[in-house]
Amino acid sequence: MKNRYNKGRILAFLLLITTSFAFSQAKKPTLMVVPSDVWCNTNGYMMEYDNQGTKVKVPDYKRAFQENADLLLVIAKIGELMAERGFPLESMEGALKNLSSESAEDAILQSKGGAGITESPIDKLKKTAKADIWLQVTWTVNTVGPKKSITFILQGLDAYTDKQIAGASGTGNELIGATLPVMLQTAVLSHLDNFNVQLMAHFDDLFKNGREIVIRIKKFDSWDGDLEKEYDGEELSSIIEGWLTKNCVAGRFGAPDVTENMMVIKQVRIPMYNEAGTALDARGFCKNLQKFLKAPPYSITNKLMTKGLGQASIVLGEK
Amino acid sequence: MKSILQKTGLLLILLIGISSANAQAKKKADKATMAWRYEIEVVQTGTQGNYLIKVWSFSKKANVAIEQSKKNAVHGIIFKGFAGTQTVPGQKALLTENLEEDEAEYFKDFFADGGKYMKFVTLSTDGAVAAEDVMKVGKEYKVGVIISVNVSGLRKQLETDGKLKRLDAGF
Repeated sequence: MKNRYNKGRILAFLLLITTSFAFSQAKKPTLMVVPSDVWCNTNGYMMEYDNQGTKVKVPDYKRAFQENADLLLVIAKIGELMAERGFPLESMEGALKNLSSESAEDAILQSKGGAGITESPIDKLKKTAKADIWLQVTWTVNTVGPKKSITFILQGLDAYTDKQIAGASGTGNELIGATLPVMLQTAVLSHLDNFNVQLMAHFDDLFKNGREIVIRIKKFDSWDGDLEKEYDGEELSSIIEGWLTKNCVAGRFGAPDVTENMMVIKQVRIPMYNEAGTALDARGFCKNLQKFLKAPPYSITNKLMTKGLGQASIVLGEK
Repeated sequence: MKSILQKTGLLLILLIGISSANAQAKKKADKATMAWRYEIEVVQTGTQGNYLIKVWSFSKKANVAIEQSKKNAVHGIIFKGFAGTQTVPGQKALLTENLEEDEAEYFKDFFADGGKYMKFVTLSTDGAVAAEDVMKVGKEYKVGVIISVNVSGLRKQLETDGKLKRLDAGF
């Protein structure tokens, strides 16, 4: 009997440890390699469309992946080395394929009663290849007589703050007779360790000073209030700033852009975990702000939309 | 008979003297390693998981300097890093925090003769040193040896031993 009781206690203890371990893991950012616009343009992988009379050029990633084996080599090599460091990359080629097959499936999916899939224009816009950190690659081949060298640039870009959080670049040795794939492989191997040192410094900063996110507050035109509406003599925008001061890591957030209709707050440093030890991202953090605004004395109905780990928009007035 | 005994004794004293001088030189070389007294030049970093570097070590005995270069190579990659050239990028030290003093016991064992560091080095020229890479500086030799260090394995070892944080630590 006593033995059984002890076993139960051990099991409960193990369960507690496992649960707290699961909670102690912060949300892992997704990484994806993408060729830069400059590379796509130089190599002819651009498509042009007419945007209300203005010709706009955008990278044609799909064609680049289908036609350029060097690009695949660079992505494969970076992916291989990053997986070795515990960060398997998401494949952009795979994401693009997945998106098109998903769209095709959604278009023909019907319930037994004949109902289709609901998709708002916003849902459609959000259907793109996504990552929290973009690894943007560019390379150019320099030719001097028979000698060739490669200038290689690797940039780590935060998808939400648009900051370059890591980078490595340089021009390799001038070689005669070396093939481009070998030179590219050497370039990736030479630069990735330095890139990862900076990426590590970025992650250390996240754990020390909090995840950096961007919050946008907007209002529906149907709502009769605005961000200048006063509650106990204080404007709503100031009340939101006060809430952020209380809830951000060390009260840190950038000077917001404020008008009566919108508020953009950048460099908002949110804790990696909440008080219960659960991992936190922009959605989790802004849900609390959403609740705060919904509760009296403000009682503002609002809609929360998020983009990945680091961007959130709250639209005031309606759901 | 007496002469043979005398000669054997003399030889023994000579051997003891040589081995003691070697041990002394080795001790000094170890001290020089801990005092960062070595120089590292990059040769190539573009091979998977390895850095090819030239390490310049100092000792009164050239053979001790050559052997010590292995230790210096690993020590340098862990604690010092190295500068790049116009075409080969330099690399930062694996450990950015000052763990050398905090983890003195661990690194003493790590860099002991026959310690773990040996797993990660190979002399790329099998110990042969070019004539221009042996210089007499005062009473000492300055010897340059090209060494290949398995950085990927070294990093994994330090991560496993809890001395280096993994890139995905905390996630």
